[in-house]
Amino acid sequence: MIPVIGLAVGIALGLVLDPTVPLWLQPYLPIAVVAALDAAFGGARARLDGIFDAKVFVISFVSNVVVAALIVFLGDQLGVGAQLSTAVVVVLGIRIFGNAAAIRRHLFRA
Amino acid sequence: MGASLLDQVLAETLDPAYARAAQARAARDPSGDGRRGPGAVVVAVTMAAAGLLVGVTYDQAASGAAGREEVRGALVEDIGTQSDTIEGLSAELEDLRARVADAREDALAASTVGQRAIDDLDAAELAAGLVAVSGPGLLVTLADAEPDADADPVGGTDDGSGDVRDGDLQLVVNALWAAGAEAVSINGQRLGPTTAIRFAGEAVLVDFRPVTNPYQISAVGDPDELRSRFLASPEVNALAVISESFGLLFEFAQEDELSVPAGGVPELRSAAPFTGQPAEAAAGDSGG
Repeated sequence: MIPVIGLAVGIALGLVLDPTVPLWLQPYLPIAVVAALDAAFGGARARLDGIFDAKVFVISFVSNVVVAALIVFLGDQLGVGAQLSTAVVVVLGIRIFGNAAAIRRHLFRA
Repeated sequence: MGASLLDQVLAETLDPAYARAAQARAARDPSGDGRRGPGAVVVAVTMAAAGLLVGVTYDQAASGAAGREEVRGALVEDIGTQSDTIEGLSAELEDLRARVADAREDALAASTVGQRAIDDLDAAELAAGLVAVSGPGLLVTLADAEPDADADPVGGTDDGSGDVRDGDLQLVVNALWAAGAEAVSINGQRLGPTTAIRFAGEAVLVDFRPVTNPYQISAVGDPDELRSRFLASPEVNALAVISESFGLLFEFAQEDELSVPAGGVPELRSAAPFTGQPAEAAAGDSGG
């Protein structure tokens, strides 16, 4: 329950505070969100599997976000930013989809 | 290789670190998870960070769309304002031109030299197509060939061979000038000495403005003389042959009352300071 409250508080803060993001960081926000979603879905599934671990979750979250942004940044420097963005979104999207399916199986037994 | 990579991505959706951590914890503390307190807070903070990320990103995307809409609106408004400005300036220019003409007339009418200058100027303006002219004349009509009855109007291959081309109009106009026309217009577009009749893609341009089929060429002048000299000119004979073989419509009629509008004001290309001999200055300028 507490993580869900944390998520809600974070979203509310982001919408209310309306912080100004530096221009160079803006292209990496969407990809970072996808990476964060992947980590969150992974954590939720591990919780339902009964093998959740706070340390693993935090580390996977931070590394996911940083690595995803870094890959896209590197791609931008090499001139293949759009293609690498697609690669990151495809891989993370497949994982999110798989974890969501596992969560569904846990919740609905189907 | 490619398939196994995809298989791996599809099969291993959960970070294997979770399973390893669970094993290590079970080995260390077989009774169950004993340290939940600090872990839950850290997880909540991480989730809050995730939420913050989502909120900020959403905000950025929304404000970006709103900003684009705003910029678009501002640009549209700019276009409107500039169009209004152009309209206002054009009206002002027209007004100022009329006042200049009036002032010129007033200044020159006083003396006989000035009177002569006015006459020269009027002749030059008439030749340059700057004044509207009406009177009897010849009305020549050129039109594209009627499409074949069995031609497919949608997917048919219209190669444009039955269309009036710029050259046809040039032939007619040149013949009319040669026959002594005082003023000529095509579809209400006055022809001056420097007006071009061009072909751009499918459209005929007169003075860089498009005119469309059917083309009506009005020529003001003595109708009888115009008609006889027009008919006798070699250009008209050539065009008659062309229209015969391609099926163009080529007609002309004598009209008692034709009106030809004033043409656009040409750019002022040369000007000289006034030296007290207005007749010469006027003659020097009329070429533009």
